[in-house]
Amino acid sequence: MKRKIALAAAVAASMLGVAACGGGSSDDGATSATGKVDGAGKTIKVWLMVDAESAWKGVVDDASARFEAATGAKVNVEYQQWANHLTKLDATLAGSDVPDVVELGNTEFSKYVFSGGFAELNKGDFENSGTWLSGLSGACESEGKVYCVPYYAGARVMIYRTDLFQKAGIAEAPKTYADLLAAADKLQAGNAADKKFSAVYMPGQYWYAAMSWVKSTGGEIAKKDGDKWVGQLSSPQSVEGLQKWVDLTKKYSKADVTKNENEQAGIFSQGSGGIFYGNAWEQGVAEEVRKDPNDPNSPLVPTKVKGKLAAAPLPEIPSFLGGSNLGVTAKSGNKELAAQWVKYFTDSKSMEGLVKASALPNSTALLDKAAADNPKIAPAALSAKNSWFPPNAEKWADVEKASILQTMLTDILTGKKTVADGAKWADEQIAATLNEA
Amino acid sequence: MHAVDSRQTPAEAPQAPPPRHVSRRVRIRSQRDSRVAWLLSLPTLVILIAMLAYPLYRMIVLSFQNMRLRELFSGATPPWVGFDQYTKALTDGVFWGVVGRTAAFTVVSVTLSVLVGLGIALLMRRVHAKVRIFMMVAMMFVWALPQLVAAQSFRWITDSDFGVLNYVLTELGFDYATHSWFVNPWEGWAVITTLVVWAGIPFLAISLSAGLTQVPKELLEAATVDGASPWQALRNITLPILKPLLMIVTTLSVIWNFGLFTQNWALRDGHPEPVYQTLATFSYTQAFGRSNYSYGSAIAVITVLLMLGVMIFYIRQMFKIGEVD
Repeated sequence: MKRKIALAAAVAASMLGVAACGGGSSDDGATSATGKVDGAGKTIKVWLMVDAESAWKGVVDDASARFEAATGAKVNVEYQQWANHLTKLDATLAGSDVPDVVELGNTEFSKYVFSGGFAELNKGDFENSGTWLSGLSGACESEGKVYCVPYYAGARVMIYRTDLFQKAGIAEAPKTYADLLAAADKLQAGNAADKKFSAVYMPGQYWYAAMSWVKSTGGEIAKKDGDKWVGQLSSPQSVEGLQKWVDLTKKYSKADVTKNENEQAGIFSQGSGGIFYGNAWEQGVAEEVRKDPNDPNSPLVPTKVKGKLAAAPLPEIPSFLGGSNLGVTAKSGNKELAAQWVKYFTDSKSMEGLVKASALPNSTALLDKAAADNPKIAPAALSAKNSWFPPNAEKWADVEKASILQTMLTDILTGKKTVADGAKWADEQIAATLNEA
Repeated sequence: MHAVDSRQTPAEAPQAPPPRHVSRRVRIRSQRDSRVAWLLSLPTLVILIAMLAYPLYRMIVLSFQNMRLRELFSGATPPWVGFDQYTKALTDGVFWGVVGRTAAFTVVSVTLSVLVGLGIALLMRRVHAKVRIFMMVAMMFVWALPQLVAAQSFRWITDSDFGVLNYVLTELGFDYATHSWFVNPWEGWAVITTLVVWAGIPFLAISLSAGLTQVPKELLEAATVDGASPWQALRNITLPILKPLLMIVTTLSVIWNFGLFTQNWALRDGHPEPVYQTLATFSYTQAFGRSNYSYGSAIAVITVLLMLGVMIFYIRQMFKIGEVD
């Protein structure tokens, strides 16, 4: 009972916040980011995710300095953790003391745009807005209006053990999918003594990967038919891709079928894997770890695979484009200043800084330059040109929260469902969730 | 204030005839006592109303509305939908699956914890005093461990890649190198049940062993002299005396285990698959994960109603014990 009551209290506590704050914002049209604003004496509050603090804090500081020089306003950046940021954001936006600028993952944005959490912006005010990566900007747009600005992207690539490739007599990174399978066969044969060895490490609930295979054969997750979403996983093309992923995973991976990709770099760094599919920056995570994982300033220590990894685009598999967008909250009292800060933080100069820090820029026009400037992200930049993103549906975040795709994948891998049955079940669940009133 | 006022009432007038005087004084005293009693429990009542009654009231109101993220942000009153949220839950096969799973888990875990708890309590009466103290201390440590910490420890013990359980089993010659304990729901629930039973035993064993001290030694000795087997002595002497306490701890265990949240939530890393959802996690996922605040509230209200049956039983038992005292 105690726990039940605690839950009830939690539900109710979030309601109290609602009662405390007055009416919503009226629709005043788009907020300009180019007008002259006198920000003297004002401070805007910015919520960025922790990646900005650990990987490109200099870019943040530089953009803020330019913003302060132009407007006279001050910036207060607060860094958030991925694990609980949405719950925290929900509770904060229910009140009146809200952050002015908020970063969200690209798949998370639609729900907030739909719920009126963010203010409309003038697309033309932002540099490179004509060539924004559609995988990021798709979530920002609703009924011809723009509610957020693409910030950065990370495309997934194949990360592999160069030493094991050499030992197995594989000269270079696979260029075709058939090459990939041949390489996996050789790795598997050469490391049969290690019971934990996965030629291709693929956790069972890694739905970004599975859906990339679905895309590779022309499949889709869901499509909008009129005003209704229809699940597309049981289409012949999708089933073919899903089957291809299942075959690969069953044959070459010893990974836990109930795990997702969150720990994959750490598990791979134990040395019992040949290839894994991850964000470009996960190569670094696999090679070096913080001595004290709770202290971002503690020294880096090398893992077993330090200096033995390389990255390349995964042949014939379109990359899932993950990334973040920035929005100005609808309840912000300094919308114009906030929009100006976003303008500085997403302009070409800031993007150059992000590229140096191994993130991908927000525009297709900058990808080639990024690949040339930073060889580390060249494979990812190439992958990003051929990339995909989840359906741009208001309720998509709920499909993720309900673990529909994850459950389908585990059920298929354990043999509880056939590929066709699993896909049919997922289609029903996805349609029910996306079309929910 | 009331206490002071009552002291000055004219009832204390000396002219009153003795018999009436006495009876009146008794009445006044009892009135004054009840006022003092209310006054003393006032702080508790205020806290209970603020922390329990009001949130519960808001939750019930919420369950008749349709509150989504939009209403949360704008502060607008959510639309009233009557019993829609309840209809949605009660006609949903998934919901009933969750109810069945929660109930089945409760029955199994409570039966196991009470049996093992009682066994340990009986054992504690028989062992040397030093061993008994050692057992008490060991159990106190288990008891003192926060649920979340215990659950995280179990999560790492059973981890497929880094877990010590797989390591030990593999060293012993079994093929458990990358075995996942949560693929098969029976195995997964066995892990969760082990954790819940393990964490629940200290309370049961210590309470029951305290209860066992109330069983008169003479009765047991007399039974032994009369040729009763230990099993007969347990069934016909110990258990009947222990029954009221046993009832209470069992009911409490039912109430706690029915609300299972932390253990399955942490062991499944904050995103339990459908087969690991219980009523509490289901309600939380609906309310805070998917921003269906009203649907989550309706499920919580139904859970409270389901528990009410058990609660009434518990409260009646409490009153019974009160009467005996």
